[in-house]
Amino acid sequence: MSSRIALYPGCSLEGTSSSFETSVAAVFEKLGIEYDTLKDWNCCGATSAHALDHELYMALNLRNLSLAEEQGYEEIFAPCAACYHRLASANLELSNNADLADALKSETGLNYRGSVKVRNVLDLLTNVVGRERIEAAIEVPLSGIRVACYYGCLNTRIPRSDCFDDREYPMSMDRIVTALGAEVIDWSYKTECCGASLFMTAPAASAKLCGRILKDAEARDVNCIAVACPLCQNNLDAKQEEIRAKAGIPRAIPVVFITQLMGLAYGIDERHLQLESSIVPFNLKPAGATT
Amino acid sequence: MSTETNLAAKGGSVTETDNASLCYQCSRCSAGCPLAEEMDLLPHQVIHLLSLGEEDEVLRSNTMWMCAGCYTCATRCPNDIDITTIMDEARAKAIAKGIKCPNPDVLTFHKSFLRDLGRRGRIFEMRMMAENNICKGKPFDNADLGRKLFLKGRLKIFPPKSLRGFKRWMKELLKR
Repeated sequence: MSSRIALYPGCSLEGTSSSFETSVAAVFEKLGIEYDTLKDWNCCGATSAHALDHELYMALNLRNLSLAEEQGYEEIFAPCAACYHRLASANLELSNNADLADALKSETGLNYRGSVKVRNVLDLLTNVVGRERIEAAIEVPLSGIRVACYYGCLNTRIPRSDCFDDREYPMSMDRIVTALGAEVIDWSYKTECCGASLFMTAPAASAKLCGRILKDAEARDVNCIAVACPLCQNNLDAKQEEIRAKAGIPRAIPVVFITQLMGLAYGIDERHLQLESSIVPFNLKPAGATT
Repeated sequence: MSTETNLAAKGGSVTETDNASLCYQCSRCSAGCPLAEEMDLLPHQVIHLLSLGEEDEVLRSNTMWMCAGCYTCATRCPNDIDITTIMDEARAKAIAKGIKCPNPDVLTFHKSFLRDLGRRGRIFEMRMMAENNICKGKPFDNADLGRKLFLKGRLKIFPPKSLRGFKRWMKELLKR
């Protein structure tokens, strides 16, 4: 691979979802994909910046994009779906809206030529790594594990842009999980919203949405739900017991990051996968595992 | 860009709300909205009112405060109206006009988040959550969740790295 990639970890990966960062690091090392962590990165503003102040959100992301350019990177890799959405949307708006871009640059004192491409984990795995390399690294095929691939909202829904996958029925994660030897299921909630930050601000509304997602997955007899977003993971996992009680879901369903599932198939040590950091335990061993 | 009619995307002083007049009321936004049942005005009604110039009714509604920002409406709109961003603009206008927020917990959270962001440039989750609880007057809200996350080692007790010069940079930005 010729282009230089910068990892943009974001606040969640350094905090409540560190298992996403450690599993990304371990899996990409195994795949031989090199990247550096972007130096001096700031928070993307998550939902809160764009929800109240569009220019603040644009400035925060302009800062990160210009840092990447300045540090000589051609691509930013943002595993968190929310960070990805902010960076990619701001990147698009900066290139489409020259007036706003100029105003922001003079206001913030930042320079940015617009040379950086932003990718999320599914995009990078699908379009840079490719199925062949994903398959070649497998040590323990995940046979006998049924997985519901949950994409959530922000990995595929950037308005007015070309998406790396189908927006309404994405398949990139399904293909990765299939390549790992697991069985994927068709279901109705793969892109339905979990409520995102409403989990904190309007918990009853968010719990209703999470209940529907978990109920559909449970009814299809899956062993776990795979995600590529810290918010999705947290919302479906952290209060699952209460959500299940309200929605009448008989069984707990582990919610794992796609890179944790890959790490399991690659025989990566639990120390890096941190499967135990989930509230709902995931202690499934693939049928092909020796221990 | 899929349509030539997107005024906001072209720049200038035009906002996304100006694109409301492109709507022909197919209601696809409301049909797909996961939070529609929580809203007093449905997304297509918001767009209709805005295109008629009935902004005040929109700004008094709870719609934009219950919007999760999932962008389902924005990516499905056949006229490429970014309805999610219109919700952002409605929130900002309601605050600027001093209209009482019907879901104060939402506004308090966003303010707590941005205040924490302004301190170091990165979010210190534990402090942000604790401060948010105090600001909304529910000091023990999510205490059980916090305990669970802490026991799993997910809630970090030390703040993240503080970015040099960031605090002042953001302060200057907010002064504009």
